[in-house]
Amino acid sequence: MLKYIFKRVMQAIPMLIIISIICFGLIQLAPYDAVDAMTTPNMSEKTVELIKARYGLDQPAYMQYFYWIKGILSGEWGYSIVTHESISKDLSVRIPNTIILVLPAYILALVLSIILGLVAGARKGKLADKIIDGLSSLGIAIPSFWMAMVLLFIFGYQLNIFPILGMHTIGKEGSFSDLLSHLVLPTTVLTLSFMPELVRYVRSSTIGQLSEDYVMVQKAYGASSVSILFNHVLRNVLLPVITIVGMSLPMLVTGAVVTETVFGWPGIGTYFIKAIQGFDYPIIMAIMLLSSSLVIIGNLASDILYSIIDPRIKGMGE
Amino acid sequence: MGRKNINILIAVLISMFLVLAGCTSNEKDNANKSNEETAKPDTFIYGIDGDPGNAVNVITTGDRYGLMEIKALYSPLYMYNGKDNVEFFLAESMTASEDFLTYTAKLRKDVKWHDGEAFTADDVVFTYEQMLKEENGGWARSQLIFNDQPVKVEKVDDYTVKFTLPEVSMGAFEGLGNIFIMPKHIYEGETNIANSPKNATPVGTGPYKFKEYKAGESVTFEKNEAYFLGAPKIDKVVYRIIMDANSATMALQKGEINAFAIQPSDASKFKDSKNVTLMPYDEGRVGYLGFNLSSPAVQSKEVRQAVAYSLNRDEINTASYVSSDFYDNAYSILPSKATYYTDNVEKFKLDNDKSKELLASAGVSDLKLKLGFTANNPAQQKQAAVIQQNLQAAGISVELVGMDATALFQKMESEHTDFDMYLSGYIMGIDPDTFNSLFVTDSPSNFMHYSNPKVDELFNQGRVEKDDAKRQAIYEEIQQIVIEDAAFYPLVTNKRILAIDSRISGIEEAGLVPVYTFEDMSKLSY
Repeated sequence: MLKYIFKRVMQAIPMLIIISIICFGLIQLAPYDAVDAMTTPNMSEKTVELIKARYGLDQPAYMQYFYWIKGILSGEWGYSIVTHESISKDLSVRIPNTIILVLPAYILALVLSIILGLVAGARKGKLADKIIDGLSSLGIAIPSFWMAMVLLFIFGYQLNIFPILGMHTIGKEGSFSDLLSHLVLPTTVLTLSFMPELVRYVRSSTIGQLSEDYVMVQKAYGASSVSILFNHVLRNVLLPVITIVGMSLPMLVTGAVVTETVFGWPGIGTYFIKAIQGFDYPIIMAIMLLSSSLVIIGNLASDILYSIIDPRIKGMGE
Repeated sequence: MGRKNINILIAVLISMFLVLAGCTSNEKDNANKSNEETAKPDTFIYGIDGDPGNAVNVITTGDRYGLMEIKALYSPLYMYNGKDNVEFFLAESMTASEDFLTYTAKLRKDVKWHDGEAFTADDVVFTYEQMLKEENGGWARSQLIFNDQPVKVEKVDDYTVKFTLPEVSMGAFEGLGNIFIMPKHIYEGETNIANSPKNATPVGTGPYKFKEYKAGESVTFEKNEAYFLGAPKIDKVVYRIIMDANSATMALQKGEINAFAIQPSDASKFKDSKNVTLMPYDEGRVGYLGFNLSSPAVQSKEVRQAVAYSLNRDEINTASYVSSDFYDNAYSILPSKATYYTDNVEKFKLDNDKSKELLASAGVSDLKLKLGFTANNPAQQKQAAVIQQNLQAAGISVELVGMDATALFQKMESEHTDFDMYLSGYIMGIDPDTFNSLFVTDSPSNFMHYSNPKVDELFNQGRVEKDDAKRQAIYEEIQQIVIEDAAFYPLVTNKRILAIDSRISGIEEAGLVPVYTFEDMSKLSY
């Protein structure tokens, strides 16, 4: 088991290095120069040279790459070229904000879709299945910004139940209940946008499991369909869900871009959008590196979890 | 082993679900309560669609949101809003000598910095010196330079400062004002003001003190009880960052924010509103299409004129600003409020045949141009789209290059060929001399990289001319030449539409001014 985990970790490391090289290469190709951001046109040549030397920008590209990696490993992610703020400082404020929003929504979506998916799969072709499946299709088709605007208009403006903007009411930054009331609408939007595909996944996997021999055997022994569903089918349906959970790790960083923008949520999404609009390359690269690393780490984590739960997997890796 | 794990997983998931479900039921009561409390009128929440950042200083901060933050925190000697409309702040008076070569400012004696230190002439001298230092890249440097010579700033006594000009300049009274004064005791010895960590905790003399900046969320100010013009009436002012105009409009209607500058297309939503009042006001802005003369494609004057003849100004403006309540057509480099404004210039009436003729005579066919503009600015989006259509009709194809305002600005400052034309605008002063930095050869704010020796010379003449009629003739000629050169196509003087909570009074006393919105926020009250 340990050997398998070690092997998978060792496989992930070169992938991470390759990704960092690609990201850095993109920075080098970009039309912006970091120096442009730090200097102003009325600075003298000498001042510009001094600034270049201070940031190591007079060195060849491969040296700069090592500086960059060294910086990233030590938590120094560089500076925004638009606001001059430190990126690691900005990220340390915004990533938690996004996680507060995305994590509850994702867990809620997961729980609800397992229940709905099981019900729909077990009652394939019946009314409940048609309703759930139909709503899922609708959910996939509705763009999340539109859903966000509609919910804002109804619950935020007309019914006046929830606040419209941001994470906090001005002057109540410390209040937990205030944070919760700001969370409801964006969380709902995110849950509804994560759910449809998960429902479909659980549903089709349930249908697949119900046609397996072991279900027929259980039926022959006279087990009730509810007990078959929850004691046997559920277990087999949930196993692959672990893979999905692992692969959705990057969503914690980039999963709520649109929703955050509409609700004015100060998370990674709004930060990323602003960086893209402003050609703020250091930020774009930092977020790209972060989310692509999370893809690899997520896959790694789900492989390892899977091998713990189902030891047969280990054998397949060898 | 497998079954046990699955059971644990299910148990965990279900308990999380229950916890969340519990939370949701509590939230509704709390939300109702908090909405009632939002209405507490001791806070003025002004929604802005940009992030002023956590680093503001009076020398290098030059963008609208940064300057709005500066306005709340700092004070200038005086604000010049027109010949007979000067508002004094840190200065009690500013008097010119008879030969117009020295100006003497008498300062207020009762002013304290937010940290309790006394304000003196040293702060004023220090500020002007920092603004003049080339390596600081100060935004107002060019208005303190007169024919390549800087103004000399001297302390006479603790409350008197003397400005000596190297030569007569009729725009000097305006140019010397509008500069915010920074605390010497804080910034003294700072070598890099633009990136100084001190910018994160600004100390000023303005009506409000800096309290807190939350990245991407808000900037909070609290009132300065010791403000020299009387303590502000509203305890707290918050600039709240809202990127989505739709959400902001809804929040304004609901009262979650108290003011927001809306787009003309949203004006109809507030037509019958009792809670929100619309106040369109002229900022003296000139919105224009500029040519980037470092790009080879548009270096020929005929090509630029061809572009100008194929543009339909009315169509472009109506598309962006909806109704003439919210804009006027612009024809000159000066806004209509400026001294010596004239619209007696070439207006380039739409004429596609002429445009094609000009292109043919320039020997250009199949012209392809790139147009740079601010991607998240709805007015510029529409302007860009109509310009693209207009030029297509004249056989010129346009590629749209949208970007963020800051990035566009940074591009414009450098010599580049990323786009051949760009959309922009400026809000400058009243005296025509303040506009010279946009058009004079090699000026850092000359974003077109335009150069015409005749224009340079006329600007130099206009600055020292004491005779009113002669001065008028000079500036009228400048307006005509620049427009004729067609590097600059004026589009519009649009109004800023401030939608503000109807309960707020004192807006007239506070004064609606360009860029900062309020001249003195301390006068606002509920």
